[in-house]
Amino acid sequence: MSGEAQRTLVLTVPDWPAVAAAAEHEIGPGRPVAVLHGGKVIAANAPARASGVAVGNNKRAVGFRCPEARVVVWDEDVDNRHFSAGVGALEDLVARFTLLSPGTLAIPLDSLRHGYPDESSAVEALVSALVDETGWEFFPGIADTVFAAVLASGQARRVEPGRTVDFLAEQPITTLEYAGAGATALIEVFLQLGLRRLGDLARLEAKDVNSRFGAFGRHVHELASGVEGRPLADQVRGEPLDAELDLDAPTTRSDTLGFLARQLGAELLTKVRRQGMVCTQITIELDAAAGQSSSRTWRIEDMQENAIADRLRWQAEGWLAGASTGAGTGPTTGSGPRRGGTDPQALDFGDEPAPDAEDFSADGIIALRLIAAELTTPIGATKSLFEENTGQITHTLERLQGLFGPDAVLVPGIQGGWDPAETNLWTPWQQAAVPERSPGAPWPGALHAPRPTIVEHSAVDVLAADGSPVQARPSGLEAAPTTIRFPTGETAAITDYSGSWPIESGWWDPERTVYRTRLQVVTDAGRALLLSKERGQWYLTGRYR
Amino acid sequence: MSAAPVVEQLSRETGISTATALFDRIPPHPVNPVLSPLFRRGGLPRGELVTVTGELSVSCALATLAAATREQKWCAGIGLGEPAVSSIADLGVDLDHFVNLATPGEDWLRVASILIESFDIILVDPGFSPSASERARLLAKVRERRMSVIGLRPMPGSTEQIEITDTRWSGTERGRGRLQSCLVRARSQTGIHRFLLPGPTGTPVAVPAGTSEAPAAVSEAASEPTSAAGSEDPRWTTITHLRQVIDHVG
Repeated sequence: MSGEAQRTLVLTVPDWPAVAAAAEHEIGPGRPVAVLHGGKVIAANAPARASGVAVGNNKRAVGFRCPEARVVVWDEDVDNRHFSAGVGALEDLVARFTLLSPGTLAIPLDSLRHGYPDESSAVEALVSALVDETGWEFFPGIADTVFAAVLASGQARRVEPGRTVDFLAEQPITTLEYAGAGATALIEVFLQLGLRRLGDLARLEAKDVNSRFGAFGRHVHELASGVEGRPLADQVRGEPLDAELDLDAPTTRSDTLGFLARQLGAELLTKVRRQGMVCTQITIELDAAAGQSSSRTWRIEDMQENAIADRLRWQAEGWLAGASTGAGTGPTTGSGPRRGGTDPQALDFGDEPAPDAEDFSADGIIALRLIAAELTTPIGATKSLFEENTGQITHTLERLQGLFGPDAVLVPGIQGGWDPAETNLWTPWQQAAVPERSPGAPWPGALHAPRPTIVEHSAVDVLAADGSPVQARPSGLEAAPTTIRFPTGETAAITDYSGSWPIESGWWDPERTVYRTRLQVVTDAGRALLLSKERGQWYLTGRYR
Repeated sequence: MSAAPVVEQLSRETGISTATALFDRIPPHPVNPVLSPLFRRGGLPRGELVTVTGELSVSCALATLAAATREQKWCAGIGLGEPAVSSIADLGVDLDHFVNLATPGEDWLRVASILIESFDIILVDPGFSPSASERARLLAKVRERRMSVIGLRPMPGSTEQIEITDTRWSGTERGRGRLQSCLVRARSQTGIHRFLLPGPTGTPVAVPAGTSEAPAAVSEAASEPTSAAGSEDPRWTTITHLRQVIDHVG
């Protein structure tokens, strides 16, 4: 490790998505709130947790345990916007802080040394100022690395200088969740290898971890050992890497800002790349027409212009909304674009107050500035030599996503399940795959190769020779199937069929009970189909095409 | 007797110095050895459009491009609906180099024209037939980029056509077994071929010796490159001519 350890204070708002959702939907502080994402609770506030709602519950479980809870669907925009607006109070108190993720921010303790006699008084002053301003609960954590400080903030504790390695060593390995996307799979492997705590991982040779788990493995090993990838020293930068844009006319429209930010971001990233470096943190500065300004530093995992534009949009929306409500001008003057006098709607607001000096939200933003706040060498960020033209592929697929939406470009993956429709895991390009079922678990009765190539799901009728529907029993079919009728009305003669085999699972849990019978048939056209019968209805689930 | 004067004469007449100069284009993408006899040059040609039609055409096309994806070539599927990932993997396709486009069928030409910029292989079930000028532009771009397009419907302008004419599934045994494999009969420019697709493990397998259904007649048809199938291609007539000359010399 080169140079001094970078002692960091991390402030975390527990259950941030729930807090943000409550603010967004104007739910009172005492009411239980649960935030849902992908059908599962990802955050719940204290009243909800007190009545038994836990992370991972589904909506029905929440309704059962806490019927009065308000269930809200997670929205990344809401998370970011409220946080960015709320921490404005810090701007007067500290020189530099970084938003690590919504609900979590980091302050380098160097920047506090001049203002406060010691760490604890600094933390006390900052937390009380933030709580007064926002009404949120903040958990502070101090340690020698950002990662350790994030973990410490979860327990609201201060790690003594130099004791960070010991602190990390006793943390469970699952805390690597905070290391970023891709860690989940690694944690599972570590657990299987018998590594229960971060200390177990840190004791391994860095070389061995690198050769077994690659660059990401080395990264988590460094995190576990309390080593932090150093940002380059300031003097390495010959010139400040930034990009500025003065707007011709002030704007409050977030789509316009997003568009401009994308261009500006591309310009900045090109500059950074020309220096042979990559940017991991970015400072966004916004100037209002009336002279106010807003500055935030964001850490972005996958730095690219779209990510920058999103952050800029969130920052601008939060800032402008905060300014308009702070000035007490009421909702009619909101942050929306000011309409011309010809609009008949405007007549209704005849006594609309003129914006005072405090409220600059109506005029909007006149200048944008992006600064590369943290630079590192691109070793960790470059693609392998063995990958052919990955950059062009990325470019092409992103263009298609821009035209047809992110869900139009899908990459394949496999998860656990019995039928092809269940094992399919198509994930939009450049998003982390989230398997719902473990492929490692046993799936008794799963379909063997050859498997159908195309997944279908349509109700069909399977008829016996006398024209009656074929019934399935655990012992087999009641009659030989002779005809299949498709929803379009077409029929095909069945020339041969397989044995039917049932799947029975989850009988111990009424919510997960699966009982179905499957059958492969071959039609007179030489076409093979996979059928399954569930709750008295036959379905076409796969085609051998 | 040496063949040298004949070769010299040939090279003077047709402007071809060596046999490989007949195909002085880029080598084709490698394909599974079971499928390579289907192709004139033993592999998936680059810069050209190939069509695979009939039952099991998706399986056949995926099996064809599997070897290329394992050599880090990127492949995209358009208009396939929802393919089953497990069977794609069974056919040997490297999942890290396969992308499926869930775009509207009427946009396939636009999507393909964007993919051509960087992809090596496109597998497309076209939602509509392009006009002659659109097709010409597409083919020109494909030639220029030296990438392969596999169409799942008959398309004018294709250089090789593989048509699966007969499929015989085995293993079901009227309610007692399950699907094991499918004996496929395919017709291409190089003749008629028979193989198992999918085989017992999902990958294509050569027909085991001693299989019934008149294997003698079929193997004869397969070994004899039918002159009728490719007669309209000038290169093919040149090869036939060359072969006749060599037979004559021998």
